[in-house]
Amino acid sequence: MNALLTAVPQWGARLRDPRYLPVTGTLVALLLILVVGQLRYTEKRSFLSMKLFSNLLVDNSYLLVLAVGMTFVIITGGIDLSVGAVVALVGLTTAKLLIAGVPLWAVLAIGVLVGSAFGTLIGVMVQYFDVQPFIASLAAMFLARGLCNVVSVESLGIKHEGFAELASWKLKFGEGRESWSINLSMLVAFAVLAVAFVILHHTRFGRTVYGLGAGDGGTAVALMGLRAKSTRVWVYVISGTCAGIAGILFTLYTKSGFNLTGIGMELDAIAAVVIGGALLTGGGGFVLGSAAGVLVYGLLQVVIAREGLQSWWTKVLIGVVLLAFVLLQRALGTRRARRRPVPVTPTPQVAAPA
Amino acid sequence: MNAPNNVVANLRRLTRHHLFWPVAALVALVLACGAYSPGFLDVTVADSHLFGQPVDILRQSVTPLLLGLGMCLVIATGGIDLSVGAVMAISLAVSLTFIDANGPGTATALTALVIGLITALVIGTFNGFLVTVLGIQPFIATMILMVAGRGVAMLVTKGQITTTASPAFKSIGSGFVLGVPTPVVIGAVVLAIVAVLVRRTALGMLVESIGINREASRLAGVRATGLIWTVYAICGLLAGLAGIVYGAPTMAADANNIGLMKELDAIMVVVLGGTKLDGGKFSLAGVVVGSLLLTTIERAVIIFHIPSQVTPLFKALVLIVVCLAASERLRRAVTGLLPVRRLQEAS
Repeated sequence: MNALLTAVPQWGARLRDPRYLPVTGTLVALLLILVVGQLRYTEKRSFLSMKLFSNLLVDNSYLLVLAVGMTFVIITGGIDLSVGAVVALVGLTTAKLLIAGVPLWAVLAIGVLVGSAFGTLIGVMVQYFDVQPFIASLAAMFLARGLCNVVSVESLGIKHEGFAELASWKLKFGEGRESWSINLSMLVAFAVLAVAFVILHHTRFGRTVYGLGAGDGGTAVALMGLRAKSTRVWVYVISGTCAGIAGILFTLYTKSGFNLTGIGMELDAIAAVVIGGALLTGGGGFVLGSAAGVLVYGLLQVVIAREGLQSWWTKVLIGVVLLAFVLLQRALGTRRARRRPVPVTPTPQVAAPA
Repeated sequence: MNAPNNVVANLRRLTRHHLFWPVAALVALVLACGAYSPGFLDVTVADSHLFGQPVDILRQSVTPLLLGLGMCLVIATGGIDLSVGAVMAISLAVSLTFIDANGPGTATALTALVIGLITALVIGTFNGFLVTVLGIQPFIATMILMVAGRGVAMLVTKGQITTTASPAFKSIGSGFVLGVPTPVVIGAVVLAIVAVLVRRTALGMLVESIGINREASRLAGVRATGLIWTVYAICGLLAGLAGIVYGAPTMAADANNIGLMKELDAIMVVVLGGTKLDGGKFSLAGVVVGSLLLTTIERAVIIFHIPSQVTPLFKALVLIVVCLAASERLRRAVTGLLPVRRLQEAS
């Protein structure tokens, strides 16, 4: 209890810390949507419920995993456009292999490895052949889409028993209309989140990832004796692997593989990461921020559905929210940049230096 | 002793030219198609109109060309425009909705064209505003409209696929001028205008200077803000034109699918043409070669009777090959000059 009491002011200070301000913005937006939702949509039952969060995570667990992987890449100042196509390819591969009678564990492993392979391809092109991340991942995206169509141009339904068991496995809580559950996808997504959090924020590798985002091609990091080159390859491998895992989760969600899934999914992931406070120029971003970004993204869709608006409003609204967050970041960024040189403005900031 | 050295040096200079690899790929592809399907290179005249595979390729390469020209200028300033696909959808939606409301007359068609182009110009200006005045990174600034733009197009068409009839408007995409397909004429005219504007004035050099070193160009007195803004506006305008040329033959404003992923095609065209994504030097000739290459790939897939869904695979292969061929590092490794270069760099 005591620890909790001391933790609260600490967290308060953290939320005002300029480094964390973009994430604070995300959290405020999250709270705002929740409060507005609670006020507007509470009729028979409360809008805020475990069921809401449970459904939110069921629908977005794959996006959470994608966003986590994308966070690594974006912090280094790169981008990975291939993830949507990789999700589709993993889904199709899984379906095809299961239909062919390959054991389930092998299929799942192969699915994840397909993602890792694409990540490695991008990483090698970026690091060793100086191809820009945008173009390298674009090529990987075309490659994955093309391979999808080679595997199958029709939707492949999965009728494998073990797979169906995995897809339907869940821990149920509560009774009746208030019941909610935790399914396998959520657990996997949370595990990925936890592992990524530790790797990015508590290891030498994680510090190197941030260092690569300094915009000097990793020179500073390399001079400090950190492994700039291999790290740059690894962030893409991580993103690819996350795309592989997300592909499996998405397949569990839809129980089929289809070559047109995941078109534009990379943009959802990038948008979630940006809403979560990461800078596309590199050097800034947090795993938990991206997770909050995914929740904001998912909640927006819930709100649109509850408002009974046509689905195209989702796109417009997401664009507006994205604009708002970028402007917020921009405002914070200029404030920070202004403070750095010799103080000309008479009002020095009190917050801890970044 | 000297002569072979000269040949090698000339050969090396030739392969170093930024258009060598894309042109080589294009020629190889066309020859392969010609060898596989003998009638491939024939151009016939029927009803005093030109027909044949090369004409078709030219006609279809106009969309990526128009997008690529705008994109090329944007990329030269060190930016990127992801919204062009959505802009295509919006301008077509606006034009066709106008025709739907006002009937199929020629005057209406012209007004519709102008309204569509103005809409596109406004969108481009909005992108420019985000990038220059608000200082948002181009990637994210234009991604906003890439995501929201299709929603806006759906708003314009009220969620329907607006289909309408207007022979005059349709001819923008499917007609002929003096036997040459109208889109080809439009593409050639736009190319000429952009080329004159950019290369016969200082505009191109100024744009390049911004992309190479913005601070240095500022110190030299280049007004980056206005220039970058203009470039995004032009890119939007050309995207709108591309949308109309691309969509006019169908006369159906399918907000979800018109121009889908075309932004990636446009960027690919620019990169294939040897323009670096970092900004700085750009090549309009490269855009022309790139758009022809892209269209020929798509056509070759049909010629070789490969299922058309596999097209992305070929795009990926060509993109990877051209990018790797342009990679300094691979070149050094292949020519075996690696240790020598290292010494030179070190000294």
